Formats: sequence, C-alpha cells, structure tokens
Amino acid sequence: MVGSFDALVAEMTSIVGVDAVRASDLDRHLFGKDAGVTRGEVSVVVLPKTARQVAAVVRAAVSHGVAVVPRGAGTGLAGGAVPESPAVLIVTTRMDQIDLDAGNHQAWVGPGVINLGLSDHTDPFGLYFAPDPSSQAACTIGGNVANNSGGPHCLAEGSTVNHVLAVEFVTADGEIVVTGSGSPDPAGFDLRGVMVGSEGTLGIVTRVLVKLLPKPPAIRTLLMAFPEVAGAAATVSGVIAAGVVPAALEMMDRPLIRAVENFVHADLPVDAAAVLLAEVVGHEAGVDAEAELIARTATENGAFQVRLAADAEERELLWKARKSAFGAIAQIAPDYYLHDTVIPRTKLVEVLEQIYEIATRRNLLVLNTIHAGDGNLHPKFAFDGSDPEAVAQVKAAADEIVEISIAAGGMLSGEHGIGLEKRGLMHLVFSPVDLDAQARLREAFDPVGVMNPAKVLPAGSRCFDFGRPVPEGTWV
Amino acid sequence: MTGLRSTLGKMFGGSKTEIEGAPPAELVVAPDSADQIAQLLDFASEHRLTVLPWGAGTHQGFGGRIEPDVIVSSRKLEGIVEWNPDDLTVVVGSGTTLGGLDEVIGSRRQSAVLPESTPGATVGGVVAAGVSGWRRLRYGPTRDRLLQVEFVTGDGRTVTGGARVVKNVTGYDLPRLLAGSFGSLGIITSVCLKLWPEPETAATVTTDDPERAGAMTYRPQAVLETRDGVSVFLAGTAAEVEAQAAALAGEATAGFVWPEPPVANCAVRIRVSPVDVSALIAQLGVGEFVAAHGVGEIMASVEPDEMEPLREWASARGGTLVVEHAPAEVYETIDPWGVAPSTLGLQRRVKAAFDPLGVLVPGRLPGGI
Repeated sequence: MVGSFDALVAEMTSIVGVDAVRASDLDRHLFGKDAGVTRGEVSVVVLPKTARQVAAVVRAAVSHGVAVVPRGAGTGLAGGAVPESPAVLIVTTRMDQIDLDAGNHQAWVGPGVINLGLSDHTDPFGLYFAPDPSSQAACTIGGNVANNSGGPHCLAEGSTVNHVLAVEFVTADGEIVVTGSGSPDPAGFDLRGVMVGSEGTLGIVTRVLVKLLPKPPAIRTLLMAFPEVAGAAATVSGVIAAGVVPAALEMMDRPLIRAVENFVHADLPVDAAAVLLAEVVGHEAGVDAEAELIARTATENGAFQVRLAADAEERELLWKARKSAFGAIAQIAPDYYLHDTVIPRTKLVEVLEQIYEIATRRNLLVLNTIHAGDGNLHPKFAFDGSDPEAVAQVKAAADEIVEISIAAGGMLSGEHGIGLEKRGLMHLVFSPVDLDAQARLREAFDPVGVMNPAKVLPAGSRCFDFGRPVPEGTWV
Repeated sequence: MTGLRSTLGKMFGGSKTEIEGAPPAELVVAPDSADQIAQLLDFASEHRLTVLPWGAGTHQGFGGRIEPDVIVSSRKLEGIVEWNPDDLTVVVGSGTTLGGLDEVIGSRRQSAVLPESTPGATVGGVVAAGVSGWRRLRYGPTRDRLLQVEFVTGDGRTVTGGARVVKNVTGYDLPRLLAGSFGSLGIITSVCLKLWPEPETAATVTTDDPERAGAMTYRPQAVLETRDGVSVFLAGTAAEVEAQAAALAGEATAGFVWPEPPVANCAVRIRVSPVDVSALIAQLGVGEFVAAHGVGEIMASVEPDEMEPLREWASARGGTLVVEHAPAEVYETIDPWGVAPSTLGLQRRVKAAFDPLGVLVPGRLPGGI
C-alpha cells in the first residue's frame, strides 16, 4: 500500500515523536546531500534513538512503499547517504550511547557516536579506536562501518572491518538481529564482515561492538621533505622493504603543502616537491630505532630535510596540517572534486606522473594527499563549479584517473565507498558474474530492495545469466 | 551413479582412489583449474551430487563427518601465482601448503601470519575453516589477511571478490564471507593475502601472571598458557624485545617456541571473551590445552562427557564450544557447533544465493546448512 506524504509523516511521527521528524521543504533540501557533489531527494527525515524505533520506521516505510536510507553525519563523499529517489532518511546521530567493557578492550557503541568522541571517551582507560578518517571530528561510527573507513593509521592496524567484532542491525523485514560476537569466531557465516562496507544496503546498523587498542606508550612522528616525488615514493617502498610497517605513512605534494601551510602555519617546507609524514608507535625502547631507519631511508633517497616532532604539540600540529587538506583547498577555489582510488603502492610514482600529465593537459589544478603506505590516492581538483568548462574538464579528468588506476592494478575506492557516484564504474573492475554474485548476496539480505537502493551495484547487476539478459524476477 | 562416475572420470581424470583420512566417496577428483571446478560443480548441481572440497584434511573434523558423492582435492591448485614483496601481497593457489608458502616468502623475511603449528595444512583449508594462528593477538585473525578470493559457486560460476590491493571498499567483502564458510558457499581456488614483515628479533619469555604480562609489555605477539605455564611471545627491535623480556623477569628463549596443539582423541575449541580465559582454564579437566590470553580461544583435549558442561559454562558467558575432531560416535551425541546463530534464516538465504541446489558440503554448518 502506498500512502500519501502526510500519512507517511504522521506514521513516522507516531514512532519517533514530533521532535525527531523533519519534513519541511528546507530540511528535506538540507538533508538531500552529503559532503560530495550529488544531490538526492528526501521524503522525510527521522532521527530515532533506539533500534526498536529504527525497526518500526523500516516496517512503516515498507508499508508505504518507500525505501530507507541511513545517514550519520553526512561527511561521505560518494553519495552513499543521498537518496536517489524519495526515501525515508534515517539519521542515526541521536543513537550515541557508549557501553565500554575496558577489561575486554571492547565497547558497544551507537552508530551516531562520533569517531573521535569514542577515542576521547575511552582515553582515560588507555584505549583508543584505531580507524581515524580525516573527518574524524565529525564522522560517525555508523558511517565508518558503512564505508569501511580507514584513515592514516589504518596502514598498520587495518580499516574499520578489522576493528568491528559484532553488528546489530535492522533487516529489510524490520527485525533486529546481531551478527558477530565479543568472543572469537562465532559459528556460521561471517555476516559481520559483509555488513562492514555495505553502505547501508544490507541493513540499518543500530549498534556496533568495536575492538579497542591499548594506547602506544611511545610515538615518534617525522616530516621528510623531498626535491622529487620519486624520492618520497622510493622512501615508502624502502621502509616497507626494510621490514617496518609504520603506524602511518602519508604523502602530500607541493601544491597541497603550500595550500596547507598558508592555512595551518606548521612551518612546512614549501619548496619541497613532496613531503612524507611518518609515524611509528610502540614500546619506548623500539620506536627510536624505527624512526632512525625511516630517516636514514629518506636521506638515502634525497630528502633535504628530516624533522622529528619534538613533542606532542608539534606532532599534533603536523597531523593537523595533514588533516586540514580539505579546508585549505577552500582558499584556492570554491569547489573541489576528489577521487579515492587505490593502487599497489609500488606504482605510486608512475600513476602520480600520469595524474600531473592529465591536470596539465586539461589546464586544471591538482593537489595530492596520499595514504602512501597503502597506495590510496586522493587527487583533488580545485575548480569553480560555476564554470561549465571547468566542470567538464574535471569530470573528464576524473574518468581518466579511474582508468589509469585500474590499469595499474588498482580499485575504485580505498575508503570512501562506491555510493551513487561510482556504481556506474563497477563493471570496470568486476565481471558480470562477479557483480551478479554480489547482487545475489544483497538479495539474500534485502529481497525487495528497500535498503538504500541504487547504491554500490550498477543497475541490472542481478538480471544476468552468463551473458544472457533475463527478465527481472526470473529464477536463475 | 556408475554412469556419472565414468562421465566425471573422463572429464577430470578422477578415480576411486581414496585420500588418507577422507570419508568414503563415489569419486575423488583433482581438478587443475577454476574452469574445471566450474564444469564439475555445474555437473554436480545438474545431477544433485554432493561435493566436499578437500585440502590436507587438517580441519575436516569441524561440523562433523560428511559423506559426499564427490571429493574435490585442491592438490593440483598448488603454487604461488604472484608474489609482490614490495607491496607485501601474495596470490596463491588454494592447495598450497602453509609450509610451502612460508618457504617462498620467508626468503624475504615475510609472513602471512597463518597458523604456525600446521605447516601441512593448505591455504584454502585454513581460509575455509577460518582458523587463525597464535599471533592473532597482534595481527588479528586470518580473515584480516584476505584481500581477494577466487572461488567457484555451487552452481558453477567462477567469482572473484576483493582485489589485490591492501585497502579496498569496492563492493561487498566476499573474501570475509568466504573465510570460515567451510566450502559451503564455494570452492576456493586462489586467494590474495596481505603479508607482514618478520620482526627483527623474537623471544619467548615465561611468566606466572598472564594478566600482568599484558600490562608489562606493549602488544605482544601472543600470551599462551598450557599445563607447563604461561609464555609471552615478544617481537620487534632487539632493544624493545630485551627491555620487555627484562621487565617480565621470566626465563627467556630466543625465537618463538610455539606450543604443540593438544593431540587428542576428542579436541574442542572453546571461544569466550578475553577476560574469561583464566576462569575457563579452571573449569578444564586433566587434558592438555593451549589458551590464548587476550584473544579468548582455548584449544583443549577433553573427555566426551566434559563437553556439555564446558559448553554450558561458555554459553552462559556469551561464548561457544565447537568440536574440532572426535570419534564418529561422539558426533552422534553432541551438536558440533552448539546453539545455531540467531541469524539462521538469513544464513540460509546467503547459502542459497551461492549454492542454490545445496550440493556443497550439506550439513556441515550450524543449523544443518
């Protein structure tokens, strides 16, 4: 039964209360976009506080013939939280409970808990949550789970999926289920593993059991400046080859260094072609030897400056510089377009040279922050969105970056997700049979297509049988 | 069946030859490619033949005995497909043994951090069983090493999930779904694994207080307790290993001295919250065990009548007891998995999505999946 808009709003209000429903034109407009470039259409926004409310919202939405789309803080860049067609937007920011089990290094947290807020909460117990996206002061754990978020420190510790032990979620039938456990390897399929990174298309996450790590007793942070990008890239490979996996190993190129320095004033070497920011953590007796190895490798590869952060204050300033890239770009141009491809780290130099070539040929300004240790590229084109020629050039350049990344053996997304924006590119990296398998998995969770439809997989992924299109709904 | 056997025999050179330790089957085949497995499973689905993938047989006791029509050996899917030491990744055929993999990547002091005590087990078998090594405390479970998996679904489709890059969120995480699936979603043909550099120095230090050991070291590789006591496994630079060994003040031995897994007629894995490990050890009888502090897994040799009380104890604390191997008659008296997961309906639909006719290892997983 498809009811009217008013009936939908009335039913949502009866579930979550009048102060937790937003249905004005302004609200629907504001919530129709995330931090990326795509705009969608919202029917009504709800801000539930409990899993039972989420379950009731899902059941009500289904009965009205409307899909549901989950949203955390809206910091996503791929349109994962942007409804393609009018949907009930479930904003989880009020589900912000933290139940810490310090003895087990675990915590059950609501999806609306802010990433940095979780680590701040557990800090007095000497524990922290390892994934640290640059948006960590704003982004939510629910969003981190949806996109399998990374951040600079996932080089050594892995992305969000390595830090999620169990997930409570509301299914397409409006049931509340838990998969995973605080004890290792519960029997049955690892549905927890597929929930992470599923971008809200398999269920609405209502609680997450996270693994916490003990805070390292010692930290060393180094900034290394290179006259050539190749020297920085060779240092990345050299450090890994020498048997050290630093906690973080980040690269910034000259245009970005200059933009950031102008913004943060961290005394960055603005004459460098590239800088590396490396961090080693661990036992007090071990970090100096690792830091020395990194410094030596950098010097051997032509670094003209190696700066060891003298104290926590300087370390925080260097990290602030790295994590302020987006803010810094706003000084240069009103808009930026960002990619998130990931390549084998050994291909860094050749792919970066191609990116510069693309930018020069199309008369675009490109600034690069790179999670160099794991080959995750974030080229950012700064442009003026009111100039149609610039927009066309940026879009064409973006397509080329995807092509060269795939040619180098890479993938579409390292940590931002596919969302609406890259679903049309999935066929470049997966065969029709691969996509069909993913679509089958999705159907097992959501047979009617109510959960964040039109995301991740391209249209028509399921209607396929070894190259022969078959009518929708056919059992193959 | 005889007709089918001869057809399959012609297609894949199969024989009635038995594999040591394997259950009786109409036919044993050893395909040499994913394409052959796809043809075989397409055929098996068409004729409703049940199929059991077989590596080295190391973990075939989990979930009880299966008597399939066809056993598919991964023997010919052996070898390194691609090793990128500078990217710390390796692609291996599922029939490659852990020892064989180590021999190659160990030459550059790299490791996939797979189980240390079963060098004869295959990579495909370890992934399918979802078992992890002792160093899980530091590096996480085996599934965290799994970047890409190629597998053949029950209805004969060759699917690749994930990618050969160390960080990726492009589509659903099929590799993690396959980890611990015991062959019931597909037959794994190759996997890409993330590697770790072997630390410069390693040491094994005895201690009498596992809780204190955690506080006196920074993220050791493992803290293992057996009947002989507790050992802390340290790794890193020489200086940090020495400093931590000195702080523990126990007897230190260079390198890792891993315990032998309990040799038992009846072996179980008990999985509980990390804080419950010491209390669980107190519940055990006289059999051998290895308990992983900080992880929450205990491998133990038990008498059949000890299983239910231990399972009850673990279940009451949110844990489980699963049977790793036992004599056939024991499986008749106890469910090898314990309570089925609450998501059983969903698990059944996932199974049907990949193996619509249910030909792959039917009945191995909880709830008869």
